[in-house]
Amino acid sequence: MKTGTRTWLVLGCLLAALVALGPIVWAFSTSLKPTNRIFQVPPELIPSVSTLDHYARLISEGVHWAFLNSGLYAVMAVLVALTLGTVAGYSLARYPIPGKQLVLVLFVGAMAVPGFAVLLPTQLLFVNMGLYNTYIALPLLYAGHILPFAVWVTRSHFSTIPRELEQAAQIDGYSRFEAVWKVVLPGAKPALLAAATFGFLHSWNDYVTATTMVDTPGLRTLPVALIFFQGFHGRDWGALMAGVIIATIPPVVMFLLFRKYLIGGFADGSVKG
Amino acid sequence: MTTTAIETSVDSSRALHSVARKTKIVGSALVGPALILVVAINVLPAFYGFYLSLRQVFFFADEGYVGLQNYVDLFRDPFAWQAIGRSLVFTFGSLAIAVPLALVSAMGIRRLGNWGSILLTVLLVPWAMSPIVVALLWKWILVPSPGGLVGAIFAASGVPPQDLLTDPVLAMPTLILIGVWRNFAFAAIILTGGLGQIPRDLYKAAAVDGLGAWEAFRKITLPLLAPSLLIVISMLTISYFNEVQTIIGLTGGGPIRQTTTLGYLLYHTGFVELDQGRGNAIAIVMFMINMLLIALYIKILGKQPGAAA
Repeated sequence: MKTGTRTWLVLGCLLAALVALGPIVWAFSTSLKPTNRIFQVPPELIPSVSTLDHYARLISEGVHWAFLNSGLYAVMAVLVALTLGTVAGYSLARYPIPGKQLVLVLFVGAMAVPGFAVLLPTQLLFVNMGLYNTYIALPLLYAGHILPFAVWVTRSHFSTIPRELEQAAQIDGYSRFEAVWKVVLPGAKPALLAAATFGFLHSWNDYVTATTMVDTPGLRTLPVALIFFQGFHGRDWGALMAGVIIATIPPVVMFLLFRKYLIGGFADGSVKG
Repeated sequence: MTTTAIETSVDSSRALHSVARKTKIVGSALVGPALILVVAINVLPAFYGFYLSLRQVFFFADEGYVGLQNYVDLFRDPFAWQAIGRSLVFTFGSLAIAVPLALVSAMGIRRLGNWGSILLTVLLVPWAMSPIVVALLWKWILVPSPGGLVGAIFAASGVPPQDLLTDPVLAMPTLILIGVWRNFAFAAIILTGGLGQIPRDLYKAAAVDGLGAWEAFRKITLPLLAPSLLIVISMLTISYFNEVQTIIGLTGGGPIRQTTTLGYLLYHTGFVELDQGRGNAIAIVMFMINMLLIALYIKILGKQPGAAA
């Protein structure tokens, strides 16, 4: 009975892993096949002839600039959100603030309400304010989207660090800022990495905000560029799957590197929320 | 409480008071920038959206106040009701598959120990991907040709290649399955955490009392997991109800509006047709439904005995 359960468990896991990763492996395989072999019957999982033509084609279409934009937007958004979020999280954990409860509810509420619900008024607001179709439109919006989570995880983390730690540092002659910078912040690495990873994934993976907030080709993000590529070149599956792969590598690598912190951050947040 | 005591402490209490005020000012100044950005990006647009929903706005031109006309038109439109229905089918269809799947995975993950956390990581890879990229990927997987992955599987089992995404009956279930593929593992994170908090002794005691595996699941696991389940269901409901990117990428609301959910209708009305007054009315309706759904789930699961135990 016991070994039987175990066998089923292992089989189930293998099947689950196959379903989760199979499509991505298939896309990678397609991206390496010469165009005339992509629709070959029966399909080959490991291409007998492989080429990097599809990747070169994306570069000749300038898709790498969109890749760069996506990266810059995501990094800018994460830096802004982490800086403001850490300062606010520290302050909420340590200082008496008038209306603190309300502020906390506001951050949690902003975390729960999806950005898409307010995207349309945001677009009109940005058009009226002259922010629409500018280089800072997307970093600003992404920073606003990920900031509540950054505040939440850093605040939870700072609340668990004893005050005595920084007080001891201050007795040793550090200023309060130095005490926080040199003693408290290094210990907050898990919270900061959780927020940074979440923020990068959110910004890099977004399509609907990017397609509605910028218009100029030079400002496009990678997902938007891929959809435009699909629009122009129809079903050029080799190039499109090359695009899928290059769009997937950064967030997946980031996720794999920092999964421990990210999963921990979500589990913590949910237990306390 | 005597007057002398108060008088002697006046100086020090005044000093203390000014320090307290100063720390409050410093604290507020530190929260300020984050608060301003969050309010500006997440809260302000909601109010602006409500304001715009009361006006006729078309192609970025505000043509004046129309009261509730946008809402009246919206609720008179049978397509809007159809979209609400499609949203409910998509949301609850996805939940009905994702939640049990996440629960089973979470139980498997806990049982497997270290291998379990590897499995969780693998299952989360699709969640780390961009939804629109997931849509592109699945469009290729589902391509109706014997050279496509699903086409080849069909061909091997003797079924002619079918275009699942343009079939009026099959398009919605296909979207649901892809949505579940993309993010059910996120729910498994929280459920795995929740399972870890149930004391193992309870299961030992249950075994001593002669409870079978199913009964132990029903009487221990399920009620004690209720708070985590509530979180998971609320989060997934919001996520599925507002899903729009995979729909844009996979079906564009078709065929014959079969996958036009309220979220897609908002996208189409507001950003494609540029009927922004009406689009904002849809956004406000969506916002209200979101709030309602959260309240409902909290009520349902709050009645279960698990919360008290």
